[in-house]
Amino acid sequence: MVTATTIVPIASVLDARSLLVINRFTGGWTPALGAEVKRAGGIDRWFARQLTPSLISDTFYNGSAGWWRSNTATPAELRSRAERGIEPLWVAVANYERWSLVRRMHSARQVQETMAAFWEHHFHVPGGADAVGSFRPSYGRTIRRLALGRFDTLLQAVTTHPAMGIHLSNAVSTKKSPNENLGRELLELHTVGRASGYTEDDVKSSARILTGYRVDLWNTWKVWYDTDAHWTGPVQVLGFKHANTSPDGRAVVAAYLKYLAHHPATARRIARKLAVHFVSDHPSNALVEHLARVYLANGTAIAPVLKALVASSEFRGSGGRKVRTPEEDLIATYRALGARVLAPRSDGSAANAVLWQCDQLGGRPFAWPRPDGRPDTAEAWSSVSRMLNSFNVHRTLAAGWYPGKDVRYRTPASWLPGRSVRFDRLVNHLSRKILGRPSTALLLQAARQATGCRDGTIITASHPLVQWQMHKLLTVFLDSPTHFRR
Amino acid sequence: MSDVTTASQHSDSAEGIPAFGASSGCPDGCPEYGGISRRGVLRGMVAAGAVTTMFGRTFTQTSFAATRPSAHTLVVLSLRGAADGLSLVVPHGDPAYYQARPRIAVPSAALLAKDGFFGLHPALAPLLPLWKAGKMAAVHATGLPVPNRSHFAAMEAVEDADPGSSARVGWINRVIGADSYTNPLQAIGMGMSSPITALYGPQRTVTTSGIDAMVINGSDDAGRTRSLNTLWSGATGILGKGGRAALTAVRDFRPVHSVRETPANGAVYPDSHLGQALAHSARTIRADIGADVIAVDHDGDWDMHQGVGTLDSGKMRLSAKDLAEALTAFFVDLGTLGDKVTVVTLSEFGRRVRENANQGLDHGHGNVMFVLGGGVKGGYRGRWPGLGTGADDDLAVTTDYRSVLAEVVTRRLGVSAATAFPRFAPQAVGVML
Repeated sequence: MVTATTIVPIASVLDARSLLVINRFTGGWTPALGAEVKRAGGIDRWFARQLTPSLISDTFYNGSAGWWRSNTATPAELRSRAERGIEPLWVAVANYERWSLVRRMHSARQVQETMAAFWEHHFHVPGGADAVGSFRPSYGRTIRRLALGRFDTLLQAVTTHPAMGIHLSNAVSTKKSPNENLGRELLELHTVGRASGYTEDDVKSSARILTGYRVDLWNTWKVWYDTDAHWTGPVQVLGFKHANTSPDGRAVVAAYLKYLAHHPATARRIARKLAVHFVSDHPSNALVEHLARVYLANGTAIAPVLKALVASSEFRGSGGRKVRTPEEDLIATYRALGARVLAPRSDGSAANAVLWQCDQLGGRPFAWPRPDGRPDTAEAWSSVSRMLNSFNVHRTLAAGWYPGKDVRYRTPASWLPGRSVRFDRLVNHLSRKILGRPSTALLLQAARQATGCRDGTIITASHPLVQWQMHKLLTVFLDSPTHFRR
Repeated sequence: MSDVTTASQHSDSAEGIPAFGASSGCPDGCPEYGGISRRGVLRGMVAAGAVTTMFGRTFTQTSFAATRPSAHTLVVLSLRGAADGLSLVVPHGDPAYYQARPRIAVPSAALLAKDGFFGLHPALAPLLPLWKAGKMAAVHATGLPVPNRSHFAAMEAVEDADPGSSARVGWINRVIGADSYTNPLQAIGMGMSSPITALYGPQRTVTTSGIDAMVINGSDDAGRTRSLNTLWSGATGILGKGGRAALTAVRDFRPVHSVRETPANGAVYPDSHLGQALAHSARTIRADIGADVIAVDHDGDWDMHQGVGTLDSGKMRLSAKDLAEALTAFFVDLGTLGDKVTVVTLSEFGRRVRENANQGLDHGHGNVMFVLGGGVKGGYRGRWPGLGTGADDDLAVTTDYRSVLAEVVTRRLGVSAATAFPRFAPQAVGVML
């Protein structure tokens, strides 16, 4: 029986463009974020504020840093803890990855966290290797701090960071025999890219310039600049030339990295990578060129490029074009379900278990085995196991089955917009809550099939759906193609 | 829901049926598919019938042809990071090898399966029974025709394997596209979360982290399956195809779950990613679900810019040992079924001849390819170009890697070289019987 009392108000949503900005630049839509955008006076004001993270409280970051001792420890402390049997380095690295996931779920600085993850994938240093381990949390904190600054500053910091030096062999490179690993990837992956036309001689020069940043691996672990290890003599990479006569090559490195950061090929490469991440797998050359110009005109500052990207018509028309990576799916699912991860107290705590969930779904955040970072396209993340793993994790989380400790899930009854509501209206309400948009005929049909309810079924807190089967209904939204995209 | 998508899926399932016939796409009589038993055809039909019952009306929207058995399975094992072929198959007869590697050369006395010129790294010892049985070949000095020292560009080139075309279609995708069979399980990326370039292309394929991932939790509830079909039957784009392929593949993959997990014949896989991926591959092959090609990655720390090491220390002995133990366990596990299976290993490029200051090796060019299992003519193959000792000297490539692959796919899968590697004229390598 449908009566007037079943017409309860349902959740409100934002306009399509606002939702698009949220889905692309945060961990995913939540009704609370919708309210935050309204309070800020609209999506553009909200975005501008997010691009200036100092305006936004960093309470979650600072508080959650203390959840794991290893995330605030220095590299020396981490090694000491490992040597004393308190915590192996691989656990310290796992804790850093956990922290990176929960930050993206719950931090108020959502855009900064999104960009920190973006750059951590761009300047990819897998944490798994033992030698890198003690430096990996510091590397991640460095990138996060600089994530919305200037690319030239960021490039300088990551290229000379011991984690990068160890990962790509620069920490053991010498003037007698410069190791080409970092010198090559700096050009190919981090800056100008192969399209710039650098040669094998350029790679050799690049490696020579970088010699001197040493780490005393497996011994004292001293990090120092070694004037005895720096290759001296004229160097040339693309249009960069330097006499490089001093055994202290740090000024040459600074000049070289600045040259690379401001190179038009780097501008295009970074512009394209941003466009691929935030617009579509195949952005137009016009957009890439436009963003590259903004990047160069602003001295490699990142925020103006993001503003220009969001202002572009190509961005506006790109709804539904990006497929979430598994880790993005996981983060968005916690957010969509309003599941709150709390400080961990044991291995089974959600803040710890979330890493195994991420692994099951498609890989730990920074575990991609090769220096190019994980792929970011629909082709890469529409594989059969990705789809199946996502279906399985969605259901498990929707039911609150796992993880079960130190996480606050919503109660089934709390999803009801009122004491009593028609099923079709409940579906519409949940679609708005979970996906940030009204329901569709297709979602409603899938919801009926999943639950056995009819459009007119009256749902109250005592209905079997709410009592026993709410996860079946919630899973429909999470399993829909809409939730797989951002 | 898009009518266009639905229509093309109708044609998918309609096209699938002739694949059971012996004459499809193989004018020369193609022994592989000609040998398919009547039982296999019947089994496929029974499976299709079961699907109709289970999925009801959505059958025509989401189904592919049911699976059919594979006559042969090709396992493509990619050694990611550019393995040093000169350490794996050592040219002890070339003095330049020892001159260029004063600290990391493998001593001639330690080599296995030695002939007058080559020998195997001692860590490959587990493979000796296969070698001695004549079921393992090493083709040296193989690779891309032109050096490409970028890991990522080289992998892309190796796996696209069609330099004349700008279309991003991988060679494995072309191989499985040669017939009219369209089930996505025809090619499987096993033990990986996202597909490798060789699998990319118009033919739908399955990439899975493992057998355990090939399930939908809660699908004992018919409502879950129905609602998933509703959500994905008209979904657009690559994602939509992925969703439908998943719903189909999970159904057709079911026989694999029934194969017992314990390896057969006492095989013991190393507790490594590769060991697991090959164990899952063996189970998949045993279930006979029509996987003609299985791709497996060995992210085995092969990018040894430092610490290649010696027989007692360093990375090479560990990576080589993992590779050898995993491959050996795979063939022990398969037993006589191994005659159906051919493994070929690839790496994006080889490494420089001369060691660097860190007992490591920077990016080079030529490499070794291993071919193991059914149909293989064992022993050392390839034409040796001779080594130099300069800092930049590479092992030159005398055999295009496509010549090796072409020989394998032609003999084992009945797919022509022209289909797999367009505009390429393969040389005879003599690696297959």
